[in-house]
Amino acid sequence: MRDFRSVPFKAKAPHADVVNLDLKNLKTRELIEMLALSRNQKVPQPGEDTQILELLVQRDKEFQELMEVAQQQGKIHQEMQLLEKEVEQRDKDIQKLQKQLKEAEHILATAVYQAKEKLASIEKAKKGSVSSEEIIKYAHRISASNAVCAPLNWVPGDPRRPYPTDLEMRSGILGHMANLPSNGVNGHLPGDALAAGRLPDILTPHYPWQSSDVSAGMLPPHHGNDFNLEPPGHNKENEDDVEAMSTDSSSSSSDSD
Amino acid sequence: METDEQARHRFQAELEFVQCLANPYYLNFLAQRGFLKERPFINYLKYLLYWKEPEYSKFLKYPHCLHMLELLQYEHFRKEQVNAQCAKFIDEQQLLHWQHYSRKRTRLQQALAEQQQAQQPPQPHGNTAAK
Repeated sequence: MRDFRSVPFKAKAPHADVVNLDLKNLKTRELIEMLALSRNQKVPQPGEDTQILELLVQRDKEFQELMEVAQQQGKIHQEMQLLEKEVEQRDKDIQKLQKQLKEAEHILATAVYQAKEKLASIEKAKKGSVSSEEIIKYAHRISASNAVCAPLNWVPGDPRRPYPTDLEMRSGILGHMANLPSNGVNGHLPGDALAAGRLPDILTPHYPWQSSDVSAGMLPPHHGNDFNLEPPGHNKENEDDVEAMSTDSSSSSSDSD
Repeated sequence: METDEQARHRFQAELEFVQCLANPYYLNFLAQRGFLKERPFINYLKYLLYWKEPEYSKFLKYPHCLHMLELLQYEHFRKEQVNAQCAKFIDEQQLLHWQHYSRKRTRLQQALAEQQQAQQPPQPHGNTAAK
């Protein structure tokens, strides 16, 4: 006969209980079968019988205990499932809130950006504001002389142009500067005198733009200081002189090809 | 340091010169004599951009010059000025632009005249139809 005391008995991990129960099922069945067999064989071994019965009782107790543990574990498992569901629900809520916050942030960022742009354009407009009276005066001046809009009776062949003609250029201050020291260029086309050797000669020795690009940045403020200090009457003088460029003479047109 | 008198004189000279730039044939003239290639001249053109400021631009009579000045800042444009065809093209475009407003005005007047004509005839027609 086999020694049933050597049947292994493991009940450590809760999830292994089910497997162990099965094993015990098997072993207990074997035990009972062996008991039945030994009964049938009618071999008088009372000591062995008692031992086997005691083992059986022991096994039964252990079974009961394991069943209780299994029940408790089942309850705990149920609770765990409920809690997990709750956790899932909370997670979903948090995600929803997150999305809403993100949308809100996006909308606010757009609104702030647009507001900033608006402010910038307001500043820009304020900076460049000119009085309407000045604009009207200026518009009147440039339109009256037909500088920006052709005269209504203009036909091809009319010498008037939207730019200063040769004649106007010659009769201005530049033309007179060119004519002063005559170096034999007067016999040629008057237009030459204006720029051929004259203009750069007169201007380059005195003015700093010829030296380097650095000076180009310097000059406008320098100029501004000079001319903003001029009394308004003198500016008008400049305007009058510029008017001289508009003398409509009846000489031939200005196509200097 | 230049005196006030010199500064005023320079102001006038530059005012006239910048407006001369509105004349495409003058640009062609300058290009053919090589001025548009000289570094001092290019620097001078850049310096002249101060005429775009409102306190200076109010003295300009020929506003086309500002546009030409801006274009002259580009090397490609300066190179093109040597061609007479370029000058002719610019001149044509300038003239067409110059005439734009008067043409628009004559068109408006014509449209108005047509409208008034269209309003008058229906009345006599209505009378004959009623009969």
